[in-house]
Amino acid sequence: METLAIFYTLAALVILCSLMVITLRNAVTSAVFLIADLFLLAALYAQMGADFIAGIQVLVYAGAIVVLFLFVIMLLNYTPGHREEQGEGGHLERAFGAGLLALVAGLSVVLACSSKFSLVLPHAFPFADSGDNTYQLGVALFEKYLWPFELSSLLILLAIVASIFIAKKKPPYEGKRQ
Amino acid sequence: MVPVEHYFVLALILFTIGVVGLVVRRHLIFVLMSIELMLNAVNLVFIAASRALGTLDGQIMVFFVITVAACEAAVGLAMVISLYRRYGTIATDFLRTLRG
Repeated sequence: METLAIFYTLAALVILCSLMVITLRNAVTSAVFLIADLFLLAALYAQMGADFIAGIQVLVYAGAIVVLFLFVIMLLNYTPGHREEQGEGGHLERAFGAGLLALVAGLSVVLACSSKFSLVLPHAFPFADSGDNTYQLGVALFEKYLWPFELSSLLILLAIVASIFIAKKKPPYEGKRQ
Repeated sequence: MVPVEHYFVLALILFTIGVVGLVVRRHLIFVLMSIELMLNAVNLVFIAASRALGTLDGQIMVFFVITVAACEAAVGLAMVISLYRRYGTIATDFLRTLRG
């Protein structure tokens, strides 16, 4: 029962922080809530025994990606109430968003209340909680998934080159357009 | 132990919040952050399924998803900077060159 209470607390906080991310007007505050969101998800992963992924989540997501977001937000010097935010969320989009959220909330309440809701997954299967999650993950990564791992390094290299090329001072297509 | 369906329902809610943010917000930074939320919902499903099935494959997938998310954020933010330099705005309403 104790783990269930922890899960519900974390889940409520995750949903709250996610709603903050998409509703706040200030981009910096929104990014800070995204960091909180990622930390809470890391706590959920750690609760499920995925220690290494929880660490990676904090290091890469909260430590690198969101910091990159914050860097760009401050580089662009974005201020709320700017002219591009005037038409923020037309009536159609807002109605769609509210309707979709209400639909999913109702669906999840129904799913949580119905005792019949059970997937084909055998969730009583004991997980190997022997504390060597990182070791097992490393073995799997370098034996079974060696090719995808090497390809992901190539992907990162491509992303580096592409980012530098796109964000260069003078875009290469500028001369042709004008 | 928390049943795996609880995690799936939480991931469903999180993904929907991401979709709503993607549709409602007009600012490209918020659009990218909504995509990150959706990717995190997928990661949660992977880890919950990995625990339920007792295999590590789901966690490996999350590892690759995080890699791809980092690349996506880097390239996406570079595009945001480039668009801001070129057009002076990053509101999706004003960027309609491809709309035809």
